[in-house]
Amino acid sequence: MTQVARPAPGKPRRLDTFTLASEPGNERLALARVAGTVKDLGLSEARLERLKTAVAEATMNAIEHGNGNRPEIPVEVEVTLDGDDIIIAISDQGGEAHVAAQNAGDPEEPDLLKKLDGAQTPRGWGLFLIRNMVDAMNVTTDGQRHTIWLTMRTGGAAHGEHV
Amino acid sequence: MASMCEATTRIVPGAAVIELSGDIDGSAAAILTTAYQNAVDGYDDPEPLGTVVLDFGAVDYINSTGIALIVSVLARARAERRKVVACGLSAHYREIFDITRLSDFIELFPDLDHAVSQLTGPVA
Repeated sequence: MTQVARPAPGKPRRLDTFTLASEPGNERLALARVAGTVKDLGLSEARLERLKTAVAEATMNAIEHGNGNRPEIPVEVEVTLDGDDIIIAISDQGGEAHVAAQNAGDPEEPDLLKKLDGAQTPRGWGLFLIRNMVDAMNVTTDGQRHTIWLTMRTGGAAHGEHV
Repeated sequence: MASMCEATTRIVPGAAVIELSGDIDGSAAAILTTAYQNAVDGYDDPEPLGTVVLDFGAVDYINSTGIALIVSVLARARAERRKVVACGLSAHYREIFDITRLSDFIELFPDLDHAVSQLTGPVA
């Protein structure tokens, strides 16, 4: 088994960087590649599955809301190990338009009962799932670029988590 | 995009089973809708169809759009006064059913045998 060398304290190490065409379904490529990159970093199977779901959902959002399903505009994915933290940065070229597109489709926190009663669209689970899958989620946006940062600690389980 | 999802419908005493395989994502919309309709149409007992079993035992991947499709199936079933149960979910997707609260409305069973035996009662 290949071991990924830990970076020195305070010195993040980039493990992988790649781009994907903005086509529906390509989120599967992102999750498979990230899973392969982090597989030897000590995540439990449950936490690896959570990270895969978060990567897939963030990539889907980048493809759809950020790059408008235009294959010629790439989604960029960067995997970094910073101490015990795996940090995945997923970027698109939507900038503020990404946020606006996302809010236009699903402005509210998903509420299953409202969805079952027709008061909310059945969709709108993506960000909700991401937030619940990883230890931290942050978003940075400027006029051109929208990046979602996913952080997953390699050691142990987060508070209250089943592993 | 071609769908990676397949669905087979069969009738068991008291319920219709939709056996799903592959990916439950946006490309599965028509397949899931058709499978539900086939389940309703194929049920020819004197009593109306009361329960639909979604068997996820051969499903590899469910994304947020797939969750939305399941919500739509559940909404329709509730409107038609039918119960939806599910089986065969991996531990990860059971967790997602818990987080989204789908498991508050869809009873979960480990596998199809458990689901069917619960619906039809123990074999005499």
